[in-house]
Amino acid sequence: MTELCLGLALFLLVTIVLGLIRIRRGPSDADRMLSAQLFGTTGVAILLLLGQATDRTFWWDVALVFALLSAVTAIAFVSRNEPSETAQQQRDDHGS
Amino acid sequence: MTPGPLLLFDLLLPAVLLWLAWRSLTSSDLFRAVILFIAFNLLLALAWVRLEAPDVALAEAAIGAGVTGTLLLAALTRIESAAGRRLSRPARWRPAALVLTGTALLAAAAGLLWSLRLLPTMPGGLGPLVDRHLAESGVDHPVTAVLLNFRGYDTLLEVAVLLLAVIAIWCLDEAVPFLQQPLESPLLTGFNRMMLPILLLSAGYLLWLGSHAPGGAFQAASLLAAGLLLALFSGASLPAQWSGLPLRLLLVLGFLAFLAAAIIGPLTGRALLHYPPAWVKPLILLVEWLLTLSIALILTATVIGGRPTGSRPYPPPASPAAEGRQR
Repeated sequence: MTELCLGLALFLLVTIVLGLIRIRRGPSDADRMLSAQLFGTTGVAILLLLGQATDRTFWWDVALVFALLSAVTAIAFVSRNEPSETAQQQRDDHGS
Repeated sequence: MTPGPLLLFDLLLPAVLLWLAWRSLTSSDLFRAVILFIAFNLLLALAWVRLEAPDVALAEAAIGAGVTGTLLLAALTRIESAAGRRLSRPARWRPAALVLTGTALLAAAAGLLWSLRLLPTMPGGLGPLVDRHLAESGVDHPVTAVLLNFRGYDTLLEVAVLLLAVIAIWCLDEAVPFLQQPLESPLLTGFNRMMLPILLLSAGYLLWLGSHAPGGAFQAASLLAAGLLLALFSGASLPAQWSGLPLRLLLVLGFLAFLAAAIIGPLTGRALLHYPPAWVKPLILLVEWLLTLSIALILTATVIGGRPTGSRPYPPPASPAAEGRQR
């Protein structure tokens, strides 16, 4: 069981590394932001798996903080993008 | 013996961290740099967890990834909307800058390596000493004991630095409206209805946890600040009659309470920050509660960036014209 948890945690870290490609390539800001959001979610999973494997309950608290706070960054991003996207949509509507 | 997957994990994590740090510093697009910085902080929290430093990991996850990420994003949005264009920095470094920065970094690295030699070699560090005196500290968690009792002046001065930061920000300018246009979405309303109570509850949980396990005022404060920021992003604002003296009092409350607790020592014939043994636990808990409230407001104030509009930091203007402008 411990081996399985550790193996899965390593696998998830590798998926984070693959996610870095999206941050590098984009192409849009939303792709980059979602990639960072995904890191938060993957981080929660990694923390829970490692906590399970090593029998440390305090890792769950860190996972809790990860889960709660990554949402706020996402909202900050949406508030940044909303006006320009609305403008974009209006342009699209106008064009069609 | 570290199991195979864990060893690979420990090798891969620092490599990714170094790459993220480098890209975050050199990326020419500022938005991308901010995203890289958020990712860097998330993975750094993982690294602290692997180093068995749960307190630092919690602080890193809460302040580094959560609040600082939001602060940088909000600041970038504000600067870009003021400039009217997307901001970037030169992709290539000037040779002089490269040489100067490189020299400074090398000197700092050499200094650090040199100071490593000067560190006293103490088996187990100060851990055993703290453990021996833990019973006197009034709390059961060694890190909280060090932060609020044994080396309380560090924390006291940290809070003072945070306050100074807010004062400096407020001196610069009045706050621009936090949102250019309010986000109107049923999704956000439903999200807030769920998240705000959970954030409040978790802040209380982390604060209470601090007395016997990893947790404490700073971590709880960032969760509380996240709740306040969510409310701000949904278009909430502080009523005008609260943004004057009441807000200022709340901002300094934690620092003042800590200072008052510190002065009890000299008044009763002890050293500064030496709490009376009978009151240690209630005093520390009270200071932690008030600190949490103040730090949450301080963090929120730094994200807003600028003193509340319409408030008067200076003596009230006498002329009716100025009075009219204020309203």
